[in-house]
Amino acid sequence: MRASNEETHTPPYKSGFNPDYKGKRAECDGGGRMPDSKHAGRQDFAGTLTGDYRDFGDYPWRWYLMNQLTLKPDNFPQQAVWCDEGSLEFPDD
Amino acid sequence: MSDPLHTQLCEKLGIEYPVVAFTHCKDVAVAVINSGGFAVLGEAMHTPDHIAEDIKWIRDRVGGKPFGIDLVLPAAAPEEKTVEELMAMIPQQQRDFEQAIKKKYDVPEPKDAPDLHTWGGLDQKRALDQLEVIFDEKVPVFASGLGSPAFILDRAHQLGMQVWGLVGKPRQAKKQIAAGTDVIIAQGYDAAGHTGTIGTFSIVPQVVDAARGTGVPVIAAGGITTGRHLAAALALGADGVWTGSLWLASRESDLNQPLKERLIEAGTEDAVFSNCISGYTMRTTRSPWHDEWASADAPPVLKPPLQMMLSSDYIQGSLDYQRKDLMTEAAGQGIHYITEMKPARQILSDLVEEALDVFDAFADDDE
Repeated sequence: MRASNEETHTPPYKSGFNPDYKGKRAECDGGGRMPDSKHAGRQDFAGTLTGDYRDFGDYPWRWYLMNQLTLKPDNFPQQAVWCDEGSLEFPDD
Repeated sequence: MSDPLHTQLCEKLGIEYPVVAFTHCKDVAVAVINSGGFAVLGEAMHTPDHIAEDIKWIRDRVGGKPFGIDLVLPAAAPEEKTVEELMAMIPQQQRDFEQAIKKKYDVPEPKDAPDLHTWGGLDQKRALDQLEVIFDEKVPVFASGLGSPAFILDRAHQLGMQVWGLVGKPRQAKKQIAAGTDVIIAQGYDAAGHTGTIGTFSIVPQVVDAARGTGVPVIAAGGITTGRHLAAALALGADGVWTGSLWLASRESDLNQPLKERLIEAGTEDAVFSNCISGYTMRTTRSPWHDEWASADAPPVLKPPLQMMLSSDYIQGSLDYQRKDLMTEAAGQGIHYITEMKPARQILSDLVEEALDVFDAFADDDE
């Protein structure tokens, strides 16, 4: 198999922090593209937002970091996940 | 009785039939568009230049009729790792099992090694680069196969584009409708690939209810391969149907011939929901790869994206050497009704005729 990681050195986003979201419980109807495939995978997450975000592009397309995960796919390896703001739900609101 | 197939979706798009073909093959897309349906071309795998070329190719052949492009907007992404780091994480037990499968079934090595991309933050950059082409070309319809398109709605609408969102849960539909998404595709569990867990017959009316009074058309997706499905979807309140598996074995489809034959032979129970391809459960046609990973002596399936890295050589090798006995493809439960290789125009007309027969039968019962 061939590998390609030449684009990994320059982050394609701007980082920031939103104190209003720090410690806020959230759910994310998430997922993404399967590498090397035409398919996308749906995944559900629930946890607590840290308030950290990343803005991609000029829109901006904002992503929040969720940790203390109480729900994640069986095979999901990480303890934290970045979630598209438009895909977040807030069960306490 | 007015034409039951002339729905709000037909009005919104200026099309004859409320049938949307989702396809990765531009020949299929053009054939469906020129036959009175609508087509959305899946371009998530392609570079911006490739997407621009495909858009021009379609425009040159459809005479100003509308069409759509589908991209994947990721909605969740783990912290980044490089492919090299991920490859090093594949345990020897699973590597040995992969090799044993390849040896047992004489699986050929792919002609070109699958080109694996990094996992994580680059998905967003990739999607944004692809989106720029969609905006530059003012594609009539942008469809988001996964992820909320809310952040691009203003720009898309300023350019006169429609934005469609595909959802697997009613709450996603409510959120996207509130954000201003133009059309909602309600996809059920019967569908191909990675789906939600709610069946088509359950999710469609719930999304229709969520869209009631908003003017937002709802398209039903998941297992739709006959005119009876089309009629049933309209009876559930949908304004059209989203079809994928229906076109895989069409004459125009660019899938190779043995794979088309495999799909024609497959029944509903061959469209299995398994995690052996990508690590996440998805619906694909049964193959020796599936059978081996379901056997008692199989090691645990690896977490994503490692399992996809493990399966990619098997899949590519089967395609490169036209090994029908090894092939697998994403297909929905409606694959049972794909029984012959027909031109896309005939597939569409058969679908429409059967749906009209259903409505005629109901009308006759009323008389």
